Amino acid sequence: MRRILSSITDGKGFDLVLVGVTMIFLLALAGLPLVYNVLLSFQEVDMFNLAAFQRPWAGLENYREVISQPEFGLVMKNTGIFVFGSIAGQFVLGFALAIFFMVKFPFASTIRGVFLVSWVMPGLVVGAIWGLILAGDYGVLNAILQSLGIIDGTVFWKSDPRLSIWAVTIANIWLGLAFNMMLLSVGLAAIPRDLYEAAELDGANGLQRFATITVPMMRSTIGAVLALGLIYTLQQFDLFPAITEGGPANSSTVAQYWAWQWSFRIFDFAKGATVSVMMLIFVLVASIVYVWSTRAEVRG
Amino acid sequence: MTRVPVPRLLLALALVLAAIYLFPLYWMYVTSLKGGSEIFANPPTFWPRDPNPAIYPETWERRTMGTFLWNSVVIGSGVTALTVLLGTGCAYVLARYRSAWIDVALFVILMLQVLPASVMITPIYVGFNQLGLLAYPRFAVILAAAAKSIPFYIVLVRATFMNVPRELEEAALVDGNSRWGAFFFIVLPLARNGILVLAILTFMQAFGEYIYSKSIITTPAYQPASVGLSGFLGPNATDWNGIMAYSAIYVTPIVAIFVLLQRRIVAGLTSGALK
Repeated sequence: MRRILSSITDGKGFDLVLVGVTMIFLLALAGLPLVYNVLLSFQEVDMFNLAAFQRPWAGLENYREVISQPEFGLVMKNTGIFVFGSIAGQFVLGFALAIFFMVKFPFASTIRGVFLVSWVMPGLVVGAIWGLILAGDYGVLNAILQSLGIIDGTVFWKSDPRLSIWAVTIANIWLGLAFNMMLLSVGLAAIPRDLYEAAELDGANGLQRFATITVPMMRSTIGAVLALGLIYTLQQFDLFPAITEGGPANSSTVAQYWAWQWSFRIFDFAKGATVSVMMLIFVLVASIVYVWSTRAEVRG
Repeated sequence: MTRVPVPRLLLALALVLAAIYLFPLYWMYVTSLKGGSEIFANPPTFWPRDPNPAIYPETWERRTMGTFLWNSVVIGSGVTALTVLLGTGCAYVLARYRSAWIDVALFVILMLQVLPASVMITPIYVGFNQLGLLAYPRFAVILAAAAKSIPFYIVLVRATFMNVPRELEEAALVDGNSRWGAFFFIVLPLARNGILVLAILTFMQAFGEYIYSKSIITTPAYQPASVGLSGFLGPNATDWNGIMAYSAIYVTPIVAIFVLLQRRIVAGLTSGALK
């Protein structure tokens, strides 16, 4: 007993306690729910047996029913648009801004830091503001686009079924843009300056320097940023209830919002778990890419 | 990259870009000060004709924002306390050793970091319901949200601990300190700034938390400000100056803290996320 105690104050036990308590907490509140989620997706769950520990087995019935829903295809398509639209927008704009802020001028890093304010704002507030900006008749985005001559009539971003998913995507690009820019800036800063000077002496123009130095040197950063983009886009939930509530007619429902609706609007927790498990497959692929491309940095 | 003859011009361009990017924030404050009919004017006015700040106390009263914000503070503080308590020691150990076991632990933590809250809420809700935890809704939300923020906190605080020289700790051990003594009196004070910044970031995230609170807390008296805001939001919302006043009251403290600590937050975030 005394040996265990002294090990906790002064030996290996000290490390084991610090890591062990946290790991038990995380496994109980994240690992266990993950397994439970898979279990739920194979069970029959309704309001009556919600609190019971024994539930009827449903086999693959939940999966069959989810896939045969009329909106299944639409939700998958929306998720695809939302994910790829968001990642493309955030990455391209973020990269452009990151390169711009690498040029030396006064207050460059301070102004760059200000962009990150979008990242600390509650998602619901961001959704509320964009809901107002994207409004049809009185929205300021329409007014600006009209005065620039880009559009003629009024665009109903939120209520046009062809555009509603793009309304949420625009808001999400704004939300994630700063974070992308910040991570890419860190990667850019790590490229040795003399590589560029040598290329310039050899007569390479800006585009050639970008293609032959910046992109290859940034490969692991780009991989991590894209994987994180996929992860954060699939985590994005708050914008949906705030801007469109998935409507009109499910035209802006994505998998993560659909899963929540199954559980907390229809109270069919098994279907909610089923959609979640389907989503997890994508998340796992993204996280493997992410872990792979950051392994060197994280291990230190 | 190349030497630029006119840094002033670039500064001006940078300010324009920042202004465009921060326009939504400006629009929130401006709209909150507009009168009822001015909001629906087409084309919209970019400066309120008759700024009326009376909407702020009115919204505060009508939407019972005192209760909502208090609950946000309770949830945010609970999550932050739990995260710092559980995350700091773990991050320290993970920073001190290199072995296959440490790699496994890091891998598990990174994988937990990526789980979407919208995926986790279904099993957590059903499980909490079976355990009777839903009777303490704010505590339940704190547990669930802390599990979400701890992995992120560990990864970044670990980077801070990596920068604390090992020799200082070894010297303390030679001087007769126990491991606990060296940890509390030598290592922690040296890593204080990084821990503080990440604790503040954790608080900000938990302060705006929505999905767990919305799903778990059904009693309005225990709901945080994000759920309170969702009550009068949605595709058909019209009470825009009320919504924007509510949003402004909600985010202004966060934005103010961010502006004050901007440099440190950015440094803390970029040190560990990627190099």
